[in-house]
Amino acid sequence: MAVMGIAEALREGIREEMRRDPTVFCIGEDIGVPGGWGGAFTVTLGLSEEFGPERIIDTPISESGFAGIAVGAAMTGMRPIADVQYGDFLFCMMDQLVNQAAKMTYMAGGAVKVPLVMRAPVGSTRRGAQHAQTLEVFFTHVPGLKVVAPSTAYDAKGLLKAAVRDDNPVLMFEHKLLYGSKGNRAEKGAVSPIGEVPEEDYIVPIGKGAIRRPGKDVTIVGKLLTVYRALGAADQLAEQGIDAEVIDPRTLVPLDKELILESVRKTHRFVVVEEDNRTHGWGAEIAAMVAEEAFWYLDAPPVRVSAPDIPPPFAPGLEELYVPSVDRVVAAVKGLF
Amino acid sequence: MAEPLGADRLLALYRKMLLIRRFEERCNALFLQGRIPSTLHLYIGQEASATGVCSALRQDDYVLGTHRPHGHALAKDVSPRIIMAELMAKATGCCRGKGGSMHVGDVRQGVFPAVAIVGAGCPIAAGVGLSAKMRGTDQVAVAFHGEGAANEGDWHEALNMAAIWKLPVIYVCENNLYGASTHFDKVFRVAHVSDRASAYGMPGVTVDGNDVEAVRDAALEAVARARAGEGPTLLETLTYRQCGHSRSDACDYRPDDEEAEWKSRDPLTLTGARLLAEPHSLPQSALDEAEASVAAEIDDAIAFADASPAPSPDELERYVYWEGD
Amino acid sequence: MATQVLVPPLGTNVDTVTLVTWYKAEGDAVAAGEPLFAVETDKATLDVEAPAAGTLRGVSAAEGDDVPSLSCIAWIAAEGEALPDGAPTDTDEHLPARTGASPSPPHPLTPSPLHPLTPKASPWARTLAAERGIDWTLLQGTGPQGAVVGRDVEAAAQAGRRPAPTPLAARVAQERGIDLAGVGGTGASGRVTRDDVLRAVAGSEPASDIVETFALTGVRGKIAERMMRGSHETAPVTLTAEVDATALVARRKALQAAGLKVSFNDLLVCILARALGEQPRLNAVYQGDRAVVRRSVDIALAVDTDRGLLAPVLRGAERLTLAQVAEGSAALIARARSGQAGPDELKGGTFTLTNLGMFGIDAFTPIINHPECAILGVGRIKPTPWVVGDCIGIRQALWLSLTFDHRLVDGGPAARFLQSVVRGIEAPGAEDEE
Repeated sequence: MAVMGIAEALREGIREEMRRDPTVFCIGEDIGVPGGWGGAFTVTLGLSEEFGPERIIDTPISESGFAGIAVGAAMTGMRPIADVQYGDFLFCMMDQLVNQAAKMTYMAGGAVKVPLVMRAPVGSTRRGAQHAQTLEVFFTHVPGLKVVAPSTAYDAKGLLKAAVRDDNPVLMFEHKLLYGSKGNRAEKGAVSPIGEVPEEDYIVPIGKGAIRRPGKDVTIVGKLLTVYRALGAADQLAEQGIDAEVIDPRTLVPLDKELILESVRKTHRFVVVEEDNRTHGWGAEIAAMVAEEAFWYLDAPPVRVSAPDIPPPFAPGLEELYVPSVDRVVAAVKGLF
Repeated sequence: MAEPLGADRLLALYRKMLLIRRFEERCNALFLQGRIPSTLHLYIGQEASATGVCSALRQDDYVLGTHRPHGHALAKDVSPRIIMAELMAKATGCCRGKGGSMHVGDVRQGVFPAVAIVGAGCPIAAGVGLSAKMRGTDQVAVAFHGEGAANEGDWHEALNMAAIWKLPVIYVCENNLYGASTHFDKVFRVAHVSDRASAYGMPGVTVDGNDVEAVRDAALEAVARARAGEGPTLLETLTYRQCGHSRSDACDYRPDDEEAEWKSRDPLTLTGARLLAEPHSLPQSALDEAEASVAAEIDDAIAFADASPAPSPDELERYVYWEGD
Repeated sequence: MATQVLVPPLGTNVDTVTLVTWYKAEGDAVAAGEPLFAVETDKATLDVEAPAAGTLRGVSAAEGDDVPSLSCIAWIAAEGEALPDGAPTDTDEHLPARTGASPSPPHPLTPSPLHPLTPKASPWARTLAAERGIDWTLLQGTGPQGAVVGRDVEAAAQAGRRPAPTPLAARVAQERGIDLAGVGGTGASGRVTRDDVLRAVAGSEPASDIVETFALTGVRGKIAERMMRGSHETAPVTLTAEVDATALVARRKALQAAGLKVSFNDLLVCILARALGEQPRLNAVYQGDRAVVRRSVDIALAVDTDRGLLAPVLRGAERLTLAQVAEGSAALIARARSGQAGPDELKGGTFTLTNLGMFGIDAFTPIINHPECAILGVGRIKPTPWVVGDCIGIRQALWLSLTFDHRLVDGGPAARFLQSVVRGIEAPGAEDEE
């Protein structure tokens, strides 16, 4: 089994899906330029050599436009994998994603499908307010979209393949610090979600979460980078006699609610860790779900560890305060005992 | 230049336009009776545009309509029954009661749920064209839009990409002079929307949008280009919205003489006169028969809608995600 | 420059602590580094040193208060120096407010502390308690802010291995002094019910367990009759007042040093005689349908004897010197205790003095010695923190409890009488100037 990072795993997933199904193609900015980067984070590097510019389509800098093109292609038998260089640019294509892609099946009374994959890097990485947001929640709020967020190489490939085969628009959020610590696009401070990735065909089903660390005293839910913050916290907590269970939902919509609820029913304590802004956030939704559906199993209030309600700051010292740290997770958990 | 139409085929176009006209008039009446529970953007006055364009298309070609889509759908042979049922919010409607007036369509006729965000259908049509090209078919995609859409970013992005990739798309700009209540002259420095086509490296054509034959001829040329892999065309059809922007619009912002002038050039009057005159020389009874058969077809559509059930409450959360063919 | 006295942050997990002790009082001089106050967390009690030298001022938290970390609870400043704006003044209520530049971040980077009104049991504890039939209100919580959490219920279940008694059963058991451990349960899942407890009570009272029976006759019968009439035939109201008896204690010590053997009761009799002169309506007896106000102050002295409560009467106290009171009462009490008191000595008083201070009693509600109008109950004298001027000092405090018959006299005269007694205690000596 090959050991690789998320960027490579995604590339292999795309390659296998494009080989398997001629209707699969990639579209985005700077994804297939010969001698170029293979997208902002190397995911499509080398694919144009195999599949040519007809299936690895470089677009003008027209985010809304190529999003609409992906929607139209998906409505007529193709399975586009679209790519934005930074998740922040999804706001440029909000209408195409929210009004068009997400609603087309519904508006047609079920007569049209939109099998579209839109990949978007997120996360604070010394880029400031417009290239470092964590914005999953804008899309998890939209009926008609599915949203996945892989935090390991294995999941990245498996979820990518599942997303390509899904008949609905799927947004895949990838964290810039998780692409991999090797290669020329490695980010400073990247942790390594590198792992074994099978070469044979497999999928990670959309809607299935994973227990990253079993424990009995508290349930910590994180996604993308905060899965690793939660795991770091769990290590520290273990030294203090607190046995934390860490859950990575992997898919944000539809959420594997039962996995989380079952854990809370066992541990009686719940913390959600998110890099998103706190107010009206993703963590708020998860905490509300736990409060509503597992209230009578709780020994302490459900708690969020979030980014503050500010845009991502640039200064590294401030950015460190913005992204939830292991220490903040540890403190939040200890507050429940 | 396409061959001139014979009497039978022109009469068929006349009948299609008449169907749209009478359908819209009946919608208006049903709205006033409270039997259509939404506002309506009526296509009255613009019938020649959709009819002419769609007469140049095959059944497997694609159409994306706008927030004023009844005419586009009828012109592309979507059944009046399921459109009327949709307008009357019935489970048998073309969108099962999930869409309403602004989203009518029927993919079996190549008509997608209409896109009611101005300009947003233009990139989608480019994607449809890209798909046809990648799948190796010679299907074409038509994006109907008003002149207002030509000031949306999506329109420019779409035309550019359609042009650079030579996509089989026809951008039909139905220039009815008003974006809602705002006159063309207030928001364009160019004389014609089609003048902008050169900026994207595609042909731009302006035709009399009330002359169904002129529209058809221009559309045939654009379709031929598209099918031949020569890329998109911007086709501007000059027409006029004879009613308000929506049901609540009294059009006080429009001069009476302007309205009178356009009504004197009503597409039905124009084509009707042409059918009675040389060389077609049809008797008035031919037009009367068309009127009667259209009335019967609309009566049937209303009866169908009336007899149909409202969506059941357990349909509420369905079709948010794909449920299969 | 005034320095804030801040509650120290005692770890990331501690939001509030309990202020246990002030080692210094408002206005005291403090040296930098000397222990100033003590706080208690859920883990430990810690002394906190003074952050500067000066005078302790603006104290805004009291012993027992829960105070947030980093809140300012006092200032150390020079005497007379103005405290910064926002600092609590000496008259402020206890407001442990954060003042000055707060070092806490503007955004709640960590979860906000639990609301102070946090229920005492978590939802899970309640769920579990309901399942196991355990009354969580009886458990000691170990969760956040002392809440009963699931593990507490588990522990109780483990310990008991049996369901908790019903709340009613628990109360009845406590009232009857029954140990529930020995009571079998017949309720749901073996819960002990009230009937189970009552059966246990019945079982624990065999006939052979009777120590004695006695009839309410003789002295006992007299006491019973007077008490019944005092509590049932009067309209009793009890007024209480705490009084600084430091001067009284000092005076007695001085008199004893001078060779005069006097009891506190002797001193009180003199004070009462004077006060009753000022408020004669309290020196009255009830006769038939009228009250008779008497000139002669005849003080009945409640005496605990082997035979029971007796109240020999010291007559004409208003005419007696302290020495005469001391001599007369000593003789009366001796006769009562030895059973030699004549019937005339045990009736006809106008006011009763009863003192339980020697038994360590602080205050109580005396029953009127029928047909008298009023009775004064006296508690123990004990050193007590006392506000003296602007300072807190240790004073010899004493509780007075005056029960009077509201049919005869209203609250106003009764209160004025009690005030008069208080003045007499606080400034003794005036009573025997004549």
